[in-house]
Amino acid sequence: MTLAAMPRWLRSGRVLIGLLILLFVVTCALFAPYLAPNDPNEQNLIATLLPPAWADGGDPAFPLGTDSLGRCVLSQLIYGARLALTVALIASFGAMIIGAVLAHVAGYFGGWVDWLIGRIVDIWLSFPPVILSLILMVGLGTGVQNVILAIVLVDWTRFCRVLRSEVIVVTRRDYVAAARLLGFSHWRTVTREIAPATFPLLITLLSLEMGVAVVVEAILSFVGMSVGADIPAWGQMVADARQNIYQAPWNLICPILAIFITVFGFNVLGDGLRRTLDPRLSQTERG
Amino acid sequence: MALLAANNLSVALTRGGSAFPAISDLSFQLEPGKILGLVGESGAGKSMIGRTIAQLLPSGFSVTGGTLDFAGEDLVTMAPEKRRRLLGRDIAFIPQEPLSALNPVLTIGQQMREHLARIGKTEPARWREHALAMFAAVHLPHGAELLDKYPHQLSGGMCQRVLIAMAFASRPRLLVADEPTTALDVTIQARIVKLIEEMRQHEDTAVVFITHDLRLAAQICDQVLVLYAGRPAEYGPARDVFARPAHPYSRCLQLASPGMGSERRGLFILPERMPGLQAIKTLTGCRFADRCPNVVAQCRTSEPPLAKVDGERVAACIRPEATAAIEPPPAAAHAKVTGETVLEASGVSKDFVTRRRLFRAPATFRAVDKADFVLRENEFVGIVGESGSGKSTLARLVVGLESPSQGRLTLLGRDVTANRTSERAFRREHLQIVFQDPQSALNPRRRVAGIVTQAMEAAGGGTGTERLERARALLDEIGLAPETALRYPSQLSGGQKQRVNIARALCALPRVLVADEIVSGLDVSVQAQLLDLLLRLRQERGFSMLFISHDLSVVRYLCDRVLVMYRGEIVESGPTETVFAAPSHAYTRALLASVPPDDADAAWNRDDGGDLALVERA
Repeated sequence: MTLAAMPRWLRSGRVLIGLLILLFVVTCALFAPYLAPNDPNEQNLIATLLPPAWADGGDPAFPLGTDSLGRCVLSQLIYGARLALTVALIASFGAMIIGAVLAHVAGYFGGWVDWLIGRIVDIWLSFPPVILSLILMVGLGTGVQNVILAIVLVDWTRFCRVLRSEVIVVTRRDYVAAARLLGFSHWRTVTREIAPATFPLLITLLSLEMGVAVVVEAILSFVGMSVGADIPAWGQMVADARQNIYQAPWNLICPILAIFITVFGFNVLGDGLRRTLDPRLSQTERG
Repeated sequence: MALLAANNLSVALTRGGSAFPAISDLSFQLEPGKILGLVGESGAGKSMIGRTIAQLLPSGFSVTGGTLDFAGEDLVTMAPEKRRRLLGRDIAFIPQEPLSALNPVLTIGQQMREHLARIGKTEPARWREHALAMFAAVHLPHGAELLDKYPHQLSGGMCQRVLIAMAFASRPRLLVADEPTTALDVTIQARIVKLIEEMRQHEDTAVVFITHDLRLAAQICDQVLVLYAGRPAEYGPARDVFARPAHPYSRCLQLASPGMGSERRGLFILPERMPGLQAIKTLTGCRFADRCPNVVAQCRTSEPPLAKVDGERVAACIRPEATAAIEPPPAAAHAKVTGETVLEASGVSKDFVTRRRLFRAPATFRAVDKADFVLRENEFVGIVGESGSGKSTLARLVVGLESPSQGRLTLLGRDVTANRTSERAFRREHLQIVFQDPQSALNPRRRVAGIVTQAMEAAGGGTGTERLERARALLDEIGLAPETALRYPSQLSGGQKQRVNIARALCALPRVLVADEIVSGLDVSVQAQLLDLLLRLRQERGFSMLFISHDLSVVRYLCDRVLVMYRGEIVESGPTETVFAAPSHAYTRALLASVPPDDADAAWNRDDGGDLALVERA
């Protein structure tokens, strides 16, 4: 495929960088059993807190060293990508579906429906999101599905608030009035005339939300409210490494870098998509 | 000595290593106290000249040759520092969109003070006095109150006056007005134009007046320069250019806009469009050749130079003597419509709630007040009035986008006032609307075929092939190529979009069409094409139309009867010719007086519009 034949959004440098980073993380998650040098949960108490393989006293069997229980850091990182991506993908889609449906209902119908949904969002947003998800996790108990549920329940408001204003803008266009006058049903008007126009914004928000979900999952597992100790999680690795921060800084740096790179990938992708898909930006701003 | 002089000025767009000429070999001389009109369709390069003066060319464009001298100094090569001192002081600008030229978050007073401080003509302590004096000069009433208002609290005409006051505050030697009245009502246009003339007389300012309206230019300008595709077509004294155009393009432009003179005439339909920047580059010969009714083989071999025609007039045509022979087609007579009534409104009113109040009835604003009218089969009825007169609200009531507060609406003998579900289906089948702005009325994400056959989609019928067939037939009917069916709206020109807009409304074969300002904002040549299309479609398939417009000449050309709306009321109605020849209501007279006359030598008596200053909402 030549450069010119590719869709415009694929030609953006930001989108490409974001996609490459995420492709790398997804590969780690999918092929974790083949890529990881060790079992991430296997403890080796005679080889605890080993430095990375290239440092003095490193062991080539543990490329990034071991933690205080002698578990392979690299293997934990690779397996940790599974949890991070599972949560990021499912939770963001869930939040998007709830938020987008309510946003379209509120923006399209307006009136008291809009008022009601708007007030619910206001009340929802007045809780600090991390506290709200912690409370939810306490109520729901640990487990991947509950982490996802907590994120969905907290973050649907982001989609709802931003999309609603976009829906209102599109709903006021004459072509929407024209479709109604030609006899389109509400359902058809929203799905055929309005939703396609809000789709670019939706994709952009989705990408940013995935980054947020990775961070929220890390926070929850850091405070031990995410999944059981038998599932490797980046937040948990950070929590474990706190005790030995001076003896083994790598234990702390590695998971933080993993979180950073993944979130960076999602954000760069989201920003690139926003620049290329948003019709309101002029050609020069896209640059 | 000329204050502003262009000598073989050329501007070009450089892209991908090659230059596309946007303005070629432009020369003119403008003396102090004179008005130069720059006339042409959109894309002719009129605005480019204003931008060259300010050196605010769009990115990629640059001056490639010639000079543009202001008081003997070339603006193009002048040091930016020096030019900046000139701009806003010696050279002032009046923009096209007054509302977007003022900062919405600052009051008029704050903006006035800032402007006066920048031009440094008054001591800071006395800015208020100075501002009020300027407001008085532009006939703005209640100047002191105005200073505390925000731009959105003023009407477009008042904002434009504030900008004119600002422009003249520095006693500029040159004023550049880029379509200063296009976004305003006709009645306001007359006053704004008069104001510019007045200020020009007091201050001996030279004015560059950019407009697409040749008739307006002929009335107020001393000299007119007609531009076509970036090249001057004709340049000379305004009256001569208008009374006896030497270039076929000037003549065609004149004949393409409907007249207000005693005789109704047909419109000259200029085919196709002006060549774009890409096409100009490869053109040999006259740029107007493809659209010119007088074209001969020689026109296509070399570009005709500007040659003297008579007196001080030059034109770029090899056969200027043949121009006068271009005649408009005869006018189609207004139909004597006696058919059955298709639409009837009796006592229709609409109140809008402006403010809800606790324990009391909400405050309301009456947008339409007891409107009575009938629309007969195959009849075109025009609704005229200025913005805010309620004409668009009336249209929305008729199509069912709003429900009347009072009165009755009858469509084909059936009461549709209540707008219940069953009535909605009935109304939809027989009545359709064409929206004003094709940009907003066409979904940019749908192909043309999908847009024009939306009525079939709504009815739940039609396979892809059936719809494509129907779309092709409709496009053929409205004069677009069948290939257009697979394009997106962004790939069409403004005129083509408006045709698609009309085709969509016609798809369901309605008996009544409501058209809200569908030709405003389009070039006269495109406007002529569309008006012609509407008349032809009526002949071919038969339908009635409510045609809402602020342009009286268009209504006169197209409509059999006319309703004049003023502050929500229908103040006058009757056959178009009768109303226009012998208006009975004072407002109709004022409206008619604000239109520049066809004959350049006739005095434009705008004093009838004098009391309209009171009409503007403060």
